[in-house]
Amino acid sequence: MRFLERWLEDPVRLSRLKRWFYVGMVVVVVAEIVVPGVVGGDHAHFSFEDIPAWGSIWGFVSCVAIIVVSKLIGKAWLMRREDHYES
Amino acid sequence: MTLGWIHPGLVLILGAWVLPLLRGRIKRAAMILLPAAALALCVASTPGTHGVVRVLGQEFVFGRVDATSLVFSYVFSLMACVGIVFALHVEDDSQHIAALTYAGSALGVTFAGDLLTLYVFWELMAIASTLLVWQRREPAAVKAGFRYLLVHVVGGLVLLAGIAIHWSQTGSLAFGDMHAFSGGVGWSLILVAFLLNAAVPPLGAWLPDAYAEATVTGAVFMTAFTTKSAVYVLIRGFAGTELLVWLGAAMALYGVVYAVLENDARRLLAYHIISQVGYMVCGVGIGTELAINGATAHAFAHILYKALLFMGAGAVLQTTGLRKLSEMGGLYKTMPKTLGLYMVGAFAISAVPLFSGFVSKSMVVSAAGETHRAAVFLMLTMASAGTFLHTGLKLPYYMFFGRKSDHALGRRGIEPPGNMLVAMALAAVACIAIGVFPGLLYRHLPNPVDYAPYTLHHVTSTLGLLGFTALGFFLLLRNLDPEPTISLDTDWFYRRGAAGFEKWIQKPLARLESGTVGGICDFVIRRPVLGAASLMRRFDGVVDSALVGIGRSTQSLSRVLKTAASGHAQHYGLFMAAGLLALVALAMLAR
Repeated sequence: MRFLERWLEDPVRLSRLKRWFYVGMVVVVVAEIVVPGVVGGDHAHFSFEDIPAWGSIWGFVSCVAIIVVSKLIGKAWLMRREDHYES
Repeated sequence: MTLGWIHPGLVLILGAWVLPLLRGRIKRAAMILLPAAALALCVASTPGTHGVVRVLGQEFVFGRVDATSLVFSYVFSLMACVGIVFALHVEDDSQHIAALTYAGSALGVTFAGDLLTLYVFWELMAIASTLLVWQRREPAAVKAGFRYLLVHVVGGLVLLAGIAIHWSQTGSLAFGDMHAFSGGVGWSLILVAFLLNAAVPPLGAWLPDAYAEATVTGAVFMTAFTTKSAVYVLIRGFAGTELLVWLGAAMALYGVVYAVLENDARRLLAYHIISQVGYMVCGVGIGTELAINGATAHAFAHILYKALLFMGAGAVLQTTGLRKLSEMGGLYKTMPKTLGLYMVGAFAISAVPLFSGFVSKSMVVSAAGETHRAAVFLMLTMASAGTFLHTGLKLPYYMFFGRKSDHALGRRGIEPPGNMLVAMALAAVACIAIGVFPGLLYRHLPNPVDYAPYTLHHVTSTLGLLGFTALGFFLLLRNLDPEPTISLDTDWFYRRGAAGFEKWIQKPLARLESGTVGGICDFVIRRPVLGAASLMRRFDGVVDSALVGIGRSTQSLSRVLKTAASGHAQHYGLFMAAGLLALVALAMLAR
């Protein structure tokens, strides 16, 4: 497992890793747009699923929404000091 | 009991008591043999009704064996095997007995064909799992165990009340589809008790509260049995109940929201149990063949990957003593095997293609699609992104990598004992096997399966969803840094609210007692007896002294009675619960 250290602690390799991550994103989006055209779009149950790259869009929206909304609720209401129940 | 069928749960519950008599290697062999035997018995069980016992004119069915109970029994006994291997190094027989009893009672619930048998194993499960919390033997664990027990005793009483009412109205204890009684009081109480064990909000705060305080090995057992046996009984009794669709979908997101705020590693994973059980509850509510298959398959896959995740977090807790994400980091250098195995579980729960969650969760989501429930579909897919965000990205990032990578902390960890790694590897192999060969699981599902998870469309849209969740994670990373806080959940009501209520009621209650109750005691018992005694003294010396004796003893008795009325709300609650239990028992036995 030394390879993890080699990749993560060398800035050059880390940035190369990031580049591959972004390339992967692009490949996924292209695949999502192309695939329904190739195999037919009979899979979809809802019209919004026909939006090109729907999975990617909804994934990003969900991720951001979950983080932002949860943190807002947490800060405004739910989060307390660790000794809340002891005091 | 019918010959030819041995109850696998009974093997675990009774067999566990052999362990204290054994030592060393033989004991470890017995620990593995017991759940292995239970698994073999489950696999060898043939569909039908076994183990029928007649007591007091009632028929108790211990062995309702059909496709639904079989698939749950397979995963429960498989899980007992994995869990006991993980606990093999623990030198504490009481923990093993509790764990095996817990697993055995889950099997008892699974095979129970009538409501009273179900109830007995239901309560046994609650008691055995409470022991797994207490056995960590730390003040926080003892308190959490009491809260856990309190909630489950209340849940058990609600179930018993529901059963009693259902019985008195229908004259039958048989447990099957409850649809015909929908809306009745008995139906509602039984449903509430089941939902409490499935940790459906607002009745679910007991889960993160207790699971994060249980022993390292006990928590692994706890993740499997209570919530999933609740899903099983919901499938049995409440399939197609519309309310469950919405509770399940809401619950899937509820767990995700709390996971964002959570700092304790095992609490974060516990909130994701709530989220994942949400998919199952939703599937039960949708109630179509595909949805029930999905709920069952997801319960099966979930037990294995969630145990794997808890084993990973437990291994870190055991070897480093750390439980808060804000204090961890950099462990990938010293615990790479734990990291690798944890990530298999993380990919499985996140429904990455080729891992078990992908082939099970999607059945429920597709069922929501087929029944044209757009909102539910969107909620479930959003929760999917949240699952990957926390279990697949946030937790491993802050636990194994994170900014503290250069910190001395990273060098503190060591790999856990071999048996723990072997148990994790077993669960990991199961996660991958189900993901790669879904047919292995599909052929055991209750309904015939006409579902193909690996379509190009499904694979690409899942990869898109997960990939862009990862992108969002890295973009917002700074906002996700774990903070040393805790989050309020509905357990507030019995952790803070009850204390406040007690304080508020204590004084007037005490005044009522020392005043009114004490006065009545004095007036009704003490004075007449003393009065009679003093009257009699004039006539007969012998009678006199005897009566004075009676008077004195009555006086001291009333003093004892006075101290028994303590003014503590929990004592009265206990008396009330005991009284209620006695009344229900009376109602049942006096029929």
